[in-house]
Amino acid sequence: MNDFIYLKRLFQAYYQEKQFDFPKVSSFNLREFGLIPWEKKVFMKRHMSFDNLDNLRNYLIKDAPRHLYSSGSLYLKPDAQDMKNKEYQGCDFIIDIDVDHFYTPCKDQHDLWICRDCGEEGTGMPKICPKCKGSKFTKVSWVCDQCLDAAKNEITKLVFNFLIPDFGIDEKHLKIAFSGHRGYHLKIESEELRKLSSEERREIVDYVTGENINFEILGLNERSNIISGLLEENIGWSQKIMKKIIEVLNRPESVIETLLLDKNHFGFNSNVVTSFLKYKNDFLDLITKGERNVWAIEGFGLINWRKLLRGMVKQVGVKIDEPVSIDIHRLIRYPGSLHGKTGFKVQEIELNELDDFNPLDEFDEKLDPIVFKSKKKLTQKLEIVQNKLPISKIKGESFGPYVKGEKIEVPHHFAVFLLCKEVAKTN
Amino acid sequence: MSIPTDLIKRFPWLPSLKLHYSDIADKLPSEFITDIFSKSDSQQISECVFIIFKSAFNNLEDIPKMKEDNLTVYVYILLNILVYALNNKLITNRIANLYSKNVYSKMEKDNSESNLYYICLDLELRVNFYDPPIKFGNKMLKDNREKQVTNFAIYYIDYLKLASNLRDDYRKLAHNPLQNGYVYIQNRNLMRLIQEYVRNKIIIEETEDKASLKSFLEEVLKNQEFKELYEKINSIWTKRKEDFDFTFKIDITGKTDILKLYPPCVIEILKKAEEGQNLVHHERLFIVWFLLSLDYPVEKVVDVFSTLPDFDREKTIYQVAYAKKKKYVPYQCSTLQSINLCMKEKYKDKLCLEGYGSVEPSERKKLKHPLAYVRIKQYRDEKEEEYLKNKAKRVLEESQKQNE
Repeated sequence: MNDFIYLKRLFQAYYQEKQFDFPKVSSFNLREFGLIPWEKKVFMKRHMSFDNLDNLRNYLIKDAPRHLYSSGSLYLKPDAQDMKNKEYQGCDFIIDIDVDHFYTPCKDQHDLWICRDCGEEGTGMPKICPKCKGSKFTKVSWVCDQCLDAAKNEITKLVFNFLIPDFGIDEKHLKIAFSGHRGYHLKIESEELRKLSSEERREIVDYVTGENINFEILGLNERSNIISGLLEENIGWSQKIMKKIIEVLNRPESVIETLLLDKNHFGFNSNVVTSFLKYKNDFLDLITKGERNVWAIEGFGLINWRKLLRGMVKQVGVKIDEPVSIDIHRLIRYPGSLHGKTGFKVQEIELNELDDFNPLDEFDEKLDPIVFKSKKKLTQKLEIVQNKLPISKIKGESFGPYVKGEKIEVPHHFAVFLLCKEVAKTN
Repeated sequence: MSIPTDLIKRFPWLPSLKLHYSDIADKLPSEFITDIFSKSDSQQISECVFIIFKSAFNNLEDIPKMKEDNLTVYVYILLNILVYALNNKLITNRIANLYSKNVYSKMEKDNSESNLYYICLDLELRVNFYDPPIKFGNKMLKDNREKQVTNFAIYYIDYLKLASNLRDDYRKLAHNPLQNGYVYIQNRNLMRLIQEYVRNKIIIEETEDKASLKSFLEEVLKNQEFKELYEKINSIWTKRKEDFDFTFKIDITGKTDILKLYPPCVIEILKKAEEGQNLVHHERLFIVWFLLSLDYPVEKVVDVFSTLPDFDREKTIYQVAYAKKKKYVPYQCSTLQSINLCMKEKYKDKLCLEGYGSVEPSERKKLKHPLAYVRIKQYRDEKEEEYLKNKAKRVLEESQKQNE
C-alpha cells in the first residue's frame, strides 16, 4: 500500500475516534476553509465552508486531508470562489511564530540542505551554497526541543512584553495553538481588531517586531560632536531597549563579548568590542543614574550606536512571520487538525499552560500533540530514503542518526512522523 | 456628557451638529439652500464660501478673513453641498486640505484642553484626559532635561485609524509611548489627528451616478443665488485648472501604456497626485527620485505635482533639479514597506507578491527594488511582443503555404 494511503487511513481513524473532541472555532460558519489533500498533484483547495461542526467532522472522517486550514477572516459568503464576492466582515489578528523564519543554533545540527545546482549537502540555514554559490536548496527541516523552546520563548515575549502591557489586550481574547510542526499561532479574537485594515495591522506588526525603528526619533542624535542617547524613563520602545542594554551589560564580560561579536546578533569587530568593554561600566553608570545623557565611548560614533541599538531591538522584538499578520485573507491551521508533515496535532493551549507545555514530550494527555503514540508499544519497520537524518528526540527517546537505505524498527508515533516527513518508506 | 453648543458652532463638522441643529440637518439640500438665501446675511455666507474656494485654488495655507460667528455652520454645510455639486476630485481634495488646516489652526489658537477633550468625546475617540497633565517621559540633550507631559492618551485602535494614513515616521506606533492600550499623545499631535479626521470627512468620492447628480444639480440650481455662486466658482476653476493639469502620461519608451510598467507603489502615488490628494514627504521624495532615475525630464516630473494643494512651480522646479543633480536613488522595497508606501497587498500585484525568475514558487527571487520591477516588466513586454510577432509570422507563413 502506498504510504500516503496508509497515512490518510490513519488520519481518518483519528478523526473518527476524536470526532466529539474536535474543537469549533468562533463564528464557524463565517470562516473559509481550505485543505491540502494527500494526492501529490493536487494543490490547495480553498473557498470551502461548512454550515456546522458535524459537517466538517463527517468530511474529515471521509476525506482526512493532509492539512486543514480555516480563515482568520469572517465572510458572509465564505465559499464564494472570488474573494470580491465573499462579503468580508473582518479578520482576527493572527500572529505566526515559526522557527523556519529565524536562526536557532540547533538548526546547525538538524536542518539539512542539499544544493540543487551542485548536490553539496550540509546543515544549518545557508543563504548560498558554500561550494558553488548557488541559492537553490532542497531542505529537510527538523524539530527539536531547543527550537520549539525558542518559538515558545517568542510567544511568551509577545504576550507578556507587548500584547498585555502595551496593547492592554485581555487574556480572554488570546487563542494560542501549537502549530503541529515548528511553531505557534496566536489569534486575537476581538471585534475591534477585526476591523483593522492591512496598513493598520502593519503598524502593530512593526511595533511588536521593532522593525523599522528610527532611533533618531526615539532620541539618538549628535550635535556638536556630542551624542545623546535614549532614556529608560521614556515609555515605549525607548524603555524596552534601555532595559535590555542594562540587562545585557550586567552579564559577565565574556558573555557580553561573545554576544557582541556574534554575527547573528550584533556582529561588531573585535576592536570595537574591546573598546566597548573598556568603557562598559562607565556607560552602565551613566544610563542607570540618568543624570547626564552623553553617550561617549571611544570608537563609537552614531553608526556603531545604531548598530548596538539595532542588535538590542533584535533581542527585544518578537520574531514573527509578518505577512501572516498583515494579510487579511490568510488561512491558518485548524485547531485539533493533524499536521500532514509530522502527524502531530495542532494543539490549543491556554496561556497558563504555555509555560509547562512541551510538544515533543507532553505529560498532560489532553495537551499532547503526539496523538499516534501506541499504548501497546507497537513498532513499525521502515527504510530510510533521505541521504542523512539527524538525531531525533521524541517522547523522551532518542532516534537516529540514520542514513539512506538503513532499515529501522521504531515506535508507531515516530514512524508516522518519518512517513509524514517523507524521509522513510514502509518496509 | 453633552458638548457645548458654542463648540458645535465653531466646529460644525462634529457629529453632534445633527442633534444641536436638527432643524437644518433634517432638511433636503434644496430646502437648505432656499432657506439660506432667504436670510438677511446670505450675502455674507456666500462670500465666505467663495473665499474658501478661491483660497483653495490659490494654494493658500489658511483661509483669510475666516470669521467665527453664527454663520460658520451654514458656511460648512453650503461648502459640502457645493463640493458634491462640483463633483471634481481635485477641487474636493483642495477644499478638504484647506478647511482641515484651518480647523487645526483654530484648535491651536484655542489652546483649550477641555475643548479638545469635548471634541474627542464627540468624535467617539476613546481618550484619557489628565488634568493636570501627566508626564510620560523626558527629552534630554546633554544635561538639559525637559519633561514631556500631556493631557491626553488615546486608545491605540483610534490612534491607528486616524494616524495610519499620515505615514510620517514620528507618527508610527513604534515611535510613540504606548501603555495599557493607550498612546500618550501631545495636544498638538492630537489636533493633527483631528485635522485628518476633518479632511476625510469632507472628501467624498466622485459620484459615478451621473443621472442622480444631474437631477440634484437641476434641483439646487433652481435657486438663483446658489446658481450664481456655483457658476462663479466654476468660472475661477476653469481659469485656474490649466495650472493644475496633470500631464504625467508622457511616453518615454514609445509605448502608450507606460503605467503598466510601474510598480503599485508608484501607481498609488501618481493616482493620489492625479486626484489632487496631498502627498507626504516620503511620497514626494520617492516619486521624484523614481522618475528621475528613469530619465524623465525635470519639467515633466514637476508636472506630477501640479495638482497638489500646496503646489508652487518655482520651488518644485528648484527641488526636482537639485534632486537630479544629486542623483538620489529611489527607496528600495524594504524601505517602502517600513514607511507604509509598499502597495503590493493593496494592488495584489503578482510580481511584487510572488517574485520572479521561475515558475516554481520556491525558486523565485524576491523583488527588492521598484526599478527592478520596471526592468522585469519591460523584459516581459518585449518577450511577449516578440512572441506575438513570431506567432503572426508563423500564421502568415502557414496560410501562404496553404494557398500555394
